[in-house]
Amino acid sequence: MDKYECTACGYIYDPAAGDPDNGIPAGTRFEDLPDTWVCPQCGVPKDLFVKIG
Amino acid sequence: MNVVIVGNGLAGTLAAKTIRELDDNVEIEIFGEERYPYYPRPNLIEYLAGRLPSTKLFAFPEGWAERQRIVVRLGEKVTRIRPGERKIETVSGLERFYDVLLLATGARAALPRVEGIAQPGVFVLRTLDDANGLIDHLGTHKRVAVLGGGLLGLEIARAIRSRDAEVSVIEYFDRLLPRQLDPAAAAILKSHFEKSGISVRLATVVREVLGSGAVQGLRFESGDRLEADTVIVAAGIVPDVGPAKDAGLEVGRGIVVDDLLRTSVPTVFAAGDVAEHRGRIHGIIPAAFEQARAAAYGMLGQNKPYGGTVPFNTLKVAGLYLTSVGEIDAQGEGYEALVRSLPEAGLYKKIVLRGGRLVGGIWMGTKKGAAEISRLVAAEKHVEALKKDLLEDDFDFSEIT
Repeated sequence: MDKYECTACGYIYDPAAGDPDNGIPAGTRFEDLPDTWVCPQCGVPKDLFVKIG
Repeated sequence: MNVVIVGNGLAGTLAAKTIRELDDNVEIEIFGEERYPYYPRPNLIEYLAGRLPSTKLFAFPEGWAERQRIVVRLGEKVTRIRPGERKIETVSGLERFYDVLLLATGARAALPRVEGIAQPGVFVLRTLDDANGLIDHLGTHKRVAVLGGGLLGLEIARAIRSRDAEVSVIEYFDRLLPRQLDPAAAAILKSHFEKSGISVRLATVVREVLGSGAVQGLRFESGDRLEADTVIVAAGIVPDVGPAKDAGLEVGRGIVVDDLLRTSVPTVFAAGDVAEHRGRIHGIIPAAFEQARAAAYGMLGQNKPYGGTVPFNTLKVAGLYLTSVGEIDAQGEGYEALVRSLPEAGLYKKIVLRGGRLVGGIWMGTKKGAAEISRLVAAEKHVEALKKDLLEDDFDFSEIT
């Protein structure tokens, strides 16, 4: 599963960790995050993330 | 059509990206004063702390701009705008014609007017060059004073502490993060910092940076002195309006824009930290992003009004989650505040009610329930019956509909 980085603030979404604080369980692929999910560090939407492998 | 963008920070870069997504044919050229491709500024903190290698600072993979057919000119500060002819000039003498121009020149670090502030050993942290200069200096100078106990100052203090420097934070107000915290929460945050070896001086006015040619310390209004060989200023930002002002655009503290991000000249737009919208300079990432996106639409004639940005109110300050929303320190008739505090754990939760309705809250040291509290405050929910339970760690927010 690929990691993605927020191009606005540098936060890295790691699917192995998920984002449990915001209801995203570990193991959730970036592609499967809901469209309403935003960067937990700075608040920008999903489409500002780029794949970093 | 020619789009010229001044500034290759967040607003300039994301505007270019959005324009390309909307239109395949527009020519896009970005002029950046810095010598580096776009990087997210918060990465500078991680870099300063030694946790992020320089190769990982940048947001987009190499060749990204070329593939998007965005021409990026680095190290090319724009020195003049001639709105009448629709041209810009750069420091090296380049000239460009534009159909529409975006000014995304950002902001500089504000420097307080204090004697001795302009000397070697005094730093700000705004650019990668700033960070490199500071890291270099810290190799041999490890007694650091950070001027400013706001978000940036605290992040810098913590990053530098992880380089084994001796760090003091100097704050003008009588508590840390005065806009986000009440006195009790600020006291917990202060002790959290002190436990990590950072000293904090509150209600302190700096009168002079001591030294001549090399920083030796600070002199305070009280007459006290603090020895230091490095001073880092984190005292807010000043929008970089230079060329816009010279060109006669309407400028307040920032470049004045309307809801379509247009300046007083219709073919010139502004977005990000340099833009003043409805009297406000936001200076936060979500605002720069929303403005950049709206400006991109506007520049292509597809109007998408921008109505302002509600601050994203959960932050991570020096490792502690912090959510601060609404009236956090209101007192007096009709108001009631309830607090649950575990200072040792860095935990502090507070709700403020007015007539039984939730009007403010602070959630520090945990994120659990923070989003829900923000939502309830925004709705001014009546929570009188549940007010004690709300502060419990295992409270089930689905009980409130």
